[in-house]
Amino acid sequence: MKIYISGLYSGTNPQPGVGIARSVRAAYPDATIIGVEYSNRCSGIHWNDFDEIWLQRPWEEINIEVHAGEIKKVLDSGALWISSIDLEIMWLAKSFPDGHPNLLIPPITALEQVSKPAIPAHDGFPVKISPFISTQVSDWELHAFCREHNWMVWLKGPYYDAVRVRSWAQLVEMRHLLSTAWATEDLFLQAHVSGYEESISLSAYQGELLDCVWMRKRDLTEIGKTWSGDISEVEPELREPLCEIISRIGWTGGAELEMIRDTGDGMWLLEWNPRYPAWIHGATITGRNIPAKLIEAASGVPGQKAASQGNEFTRVVLEIPLRPQYPLSPLPEPFPGEVGHSMKHPSGLLQFAGMLHKDEKSGSKKKTTTSAATPVPDTFIEDLNTFDLASLSTPTRIFLENTAAKGFRDASARAEAASTDTIRVTNAYSIKTDPDERLIRLALESGFYAEAISIPEVRKALDVGFRPDQIVLNGPAKWWQKETLAEHSFFTVFCDSLNELDQAIDRLNSGGLQTEYIGLRIRTPNVVSRFGISIATPDEFNRVIDAVRRIPQTTKLGVHFHMASSNIGIRSWEFLFQSILRWCSSLEALTGRLIEVLDIGGGWFPEDMDGGADEGRLKKAVASIPDLLPHVKQVLCEPGKALAQPSMALAMQILEIRDEEEHVHDVVVDGSIAELPMHFFYPHRILTQNGSDLSWTPLERGKTRLLGRLCMEHDIVASNVELPKSARVGDILVVCDAGAYDRSMSYVFGRG
Amino acid sequence: MYLEGASTGIGTIESFPAVAPTLPEVTCEAISPQRAEVHATWQHWEASRISHHGESCCEVAREWLTATDHTHLGSGSPFTGPRWLRQRFRWGASRFPIHWCEAVRKKTLDCGAHASLAYEVFRFRGVPVLRVQMVQQFSEIAAFQWTNNWNPDNADELPWIDRDLIYHEGCAILTGSDRIKVWDSSAGWWLDPRPSEGYGAMRAIRLSDASINHGEASLKWGMNKLPISQWSLL
Repeated sequence: MKIYISGLYSGTNPQPGVGIARSVRAAYPDATIIGVEYSNRCSGIHWNDFDEIWLQRPWEEINIEVHAGEIKKVLDSGALWISSIDLEIMWLAKSFPDGHPNLLIPPITALEQVSKPAIPAHDGFPVKISPFISTQVSDWELHAFCREHNWMVWLKGPYYDAVRVRSWAQLVEMRHLLSTAWATEDLFLQAHVSGYEESISLSAYQGELLDCVWMRKRDLTEIGKTWSGDISEVEPELREPLCEIISRIGWTGGAELEMIRDTGDGMWLLEWNPRYPAWIHGATITGRNIPAKLIEAASGVPGQKAASQGNEFTRVVLEIPLRPQYPLSPLPEPFPGEVGHSMKHPSGLLQFAGMLHKDEKSGSKKKTTTSAATPVPDTFIEDLNTFDLASLSTPTRIFLENTAAKGFRDASARAEAASTDTIRVTNAYSIKTDPDERLIRLALESGFYAEAISIPEVRKALDVGFRPDQIVLNGPAKWWQKETLAEHSFFTVFCDSLNELDQAIDRLNSGGLQTEYIGLRIRTPNVVSRFGISIATPDEFNRVIDAVRRIPQTTKLGVHFHMASSNIGIRSWEFLFQSILRWCSSLEALTGRLIEVLDIGGGWFPEDMDGGADEGRLKKAVASIPDLLPHVKQVLCEPGKALAQPSMALAMQILEIRDEEEHVHDVVVDGSIAELPMHFFYPHRILTQNGSDLSWTPLERGKTRLLGRLCMEHDIVASNVELPKSARVGDILVVCDAGAYDRSMSYVFGRG
Repeated sequence: MYLEGASTGIGTIESFPAVAPTLPEVTCEAISPQRAEVHATWQHWEASRISHHGESCCEVAREWLTATDHTHLGSGSPFTGPRWLRQRFRWGASRFPIHWCEAVRKKTLDCGAHASLAYEVFRFRGVPVLRVQMVQQFSEIAAFQWTNNWNPDNADELPWIDRDLIYHEGCAILTGSDRIKVWDSSAGWWLDPRPSEGYGAMRAIRLSDASINHGEASLKWGMNKLPISQWSLL
C-alpha cells in the first residue's frame, strides 16, 4: 500500500503531515508512506516515518496543470493521497471535479459548505457562529462593526492568518498587509469570543462519518496553537447531527472543527478545516487512530488497532538527523537592520493563493476589489449646495448649518424622550470638543447646559449667553485662569482627584465655591485612564468614602462617568455604565449621601447616539438608573462629538495626480492631517462633485491614496479610495465628518 | 444602612447555561474507615471563613470586593470564574482569624481565604455557590518546599500537609439543577472532574456549607455524584 501525505511544515504553526504519517505508520507498519512537500525548508521531510519524499519546487515555480497530471498518475497507480494543505485541497478539488477514489479530500461542493466565516454546513449542529462582516463593505460600516463589538475583533484572511485589531489605524494597516499578501480584498472581520478552545477531528469517506474525537486544548503556544490536550468521545448530542451533516455534504477525508466553549458553556464554531489537525497523532496515542479509519475505508485493508496510552497528550521539541539527500539550505541574507528571517510559508503558499485567485478571476470575471461607499445624509448635500466651492480658498472647513441644527434638535428630542417621571435628562455641550461659537449657540438654543474644562471655556459660554447655573465644570485643570473670572454659582463641579475634592470641600465650607452640586469623576478599577478618582484598592475606595462624608450637607452630590464609547465600544460602555451604577450604589450605602446628578459623559460616534438598531440606547440607560440609584433626579448627557463631528466638512483641492502603470496610485491634495488630526481614529466619508450635473458622489474604495500637502511621511489623508476616472487637477474633494476634534485639535503646519 | 445597598446586588440567575452532555455517572463512595487515611487528618476541618468586625471597615471591604468584581466581569457570564482575584492576591500563607478589612488589603492569601472571596463574589452575582474542601496529591518534594516556604513559626509540619497529600479549598457553583463546576480560586481555574492520578490529582472532596436549597442530597460534578457535607473519595 502506498500513501502520499502532503503538508510537512513542522515549525511553530505546524501542518499535520508528520502527525498523520505517525498515525498511519502505527496502523500500517508495512505501508510505503511518501511525504509530499513544496520546500526543503519544511523540516517534516526529515521525519523517519516517511519512506520516501516527493519534493516539489515551491508553488510559485510549479506548473500546476503538469503537477495535477502527475498526481493523477499517482492516484491511478493505486496510491492514496491525503492532503493536509488547505490551498492544495481546494486546488485538487477543482482539478478533480469528479473526484478520484484514491484522492481522500472533500469535493468542491462540500468545501463551499464549510467556507468561513459563515460555514453554511453548520446548520443543525448545536453551535453558534460569531458575528462577522466582509471587509468589502464600506469603511464606515467596518468601523461601526468594530464599535458594536467593543473593538474585540479579528481580521481574518481567506485561508490562513488572523490578526486581532484594536483600533482603526491598526485595522487599516493590517487590511493592507493581508490583502496584499493573499492577493485579495476578500477578508473579513469577526467578533472575538472568549473561552476555551476545543475541537472535533474526524474521518469520513464518501459521506459516512467513520470516527471522530473531541479534543480540549490544555496548553497553548503563544500564538494559540495546541501544545497539549485531552481526548474524549464526541457526545451523542453532537455526533448525531455531525453524521447527518457529513452525509448531507458528502464529505471525504479528514476534518477539524475548531470551536470555543464560552464561560456559559455555549459552543461557537470558528472554523471547519478540510484536513486533520496538526495534533492528530495525540488522538492516536489515546487509542483513537482517526487517519487509519480513512485508509481502512478507502483501501479495505484493516489497520492495526491503536493501543491507548491514557487520554492526554503533550508535545516536546525534538532534534532529528536530516535525510542526507536533503541538506539544509543556506540562510537568506538578513535585510539590513532586521533580525533573522521569517520561516512562514516557505513553500510559497502566498504565491499559490495568488495563482488561484488569478485563475478564479479569469474564469468567473469576479470582481475582487470593492465599490463600497457609504452615502451621506441628505442634509450634507443640501448644505454643500449652498457653497460655491470653486470660489473658496482651500483647504477650508465648511460649516454644515442644516446638518448641525438637525443634530441639536434630534439630541434635544432624545433627551426629552429619555426623561422619566423622576429623572430629567439634560444635554450638556462639551465646549472643548468643538468651540465653534455657532455650535455653542445652537446648544444654548436647544436647551443644553455648557460643559467646560477651563475658565476660558466658562467665559466663552457666558459670552454666548449661558447662565452660570447652566455650566458644568469638569476636568483636571478647571480652575486654570480662575483669576480672570468673577465669582459665580455653577450648576455642578466634578472633581478629578481627591486633592481637588478636599480643596473644593474647604472652599464650599468657606464660601469660596458656589455650586448646586459637587461631584466626583470616578475611574473604575479595570480602566486605564489618567482621569478621575481611582477606586482600584480598598484604601482608595475608603478615602473616597471619607471625603464624600465630609461634603457639606447643603451641597448636593453628583457623580461623573466618562468613557468614550467610540473607543471602547458600545457594549463595553453599557457594561461600564452599569458598573458605575453599582459603585455609586455602594457609595450611597456606605456614606449615607444620596447621589442626585449623574453625568454620563460623551464620546459617542454620531450613529451610535442616533438611530441604528439600538435606537433608544440613552432611554434604556436612564431607565436602568433607579434600580440602583433611586434618588437620581438629573442625568447630564454630553453628545458633543456626536453632534459636532458631522457638522463640518473639509474642502480640499487636487494638486497632482500620479499615474503609475495606467492606474492612479497617489493623489496629492492641499489638505492634510493638520486639518484632519482624527484621520487615524475613524474613517471619513469623502465626496466628489460631478463636473457636469454638479451632483455629489461618495468615493468608492480602491487602491488610491490621498497624500496631504505636508512634507511628513504620515500625512496620508486617506488610503484605499477610488477617484472617478474624470478626476483632474484642481477638482475639489470634500472630506465629511471633519467637525469635533478634527476642528478643535487641528493645527497650523507648513504654512510659513 | 451599610447593607442596604449591598443587598440590592443579590439576585438570582434566571436561566442556566446549556447543561453539559451527560456522562455515565459514578456515585462517589463516602469514606469508609479503612480508606479514610486519605483525608483523615482533615476529617473534621471546617471550610475557612473570613470574619467580620461588625463595623463599616469590613462592610467597605466587602462592597469594594463585589463592586470590583462587577466591573471586571463586564459582559461576561455570571458563571465566569473570578480569575482577577488570583491576579490581585498571590497564593501564600494567611493567618486566621482574618477579617474582611484585612483580607482585601493583603498581597498574599491562602486557599481558604481565596475561596471565601470567590464564594462571596459568586453569591453577589446571584450564582448558587457552595464551599468545597479537597484533598489533593502532589509529591513529597512539593510538600517539603511548601513546609519550608509557608512556615513562619518554623514548625516541623504544616497542618494542611500530610506526606504527599494536601488539604485545599475552593468553591462550587451550581450550573444546572443538580450539576456543579468546581472553581479552584487560588489557582484561577476550573477543576477537571475527570478522574486523574498522580501529581495534582484530586483524591477526596467535600461539598460543605451547603446553604443552597436545591432539594438534592447529592450533586453531579462531571460523572461524579457527590453527597453533600460528606467526604467522597475520587
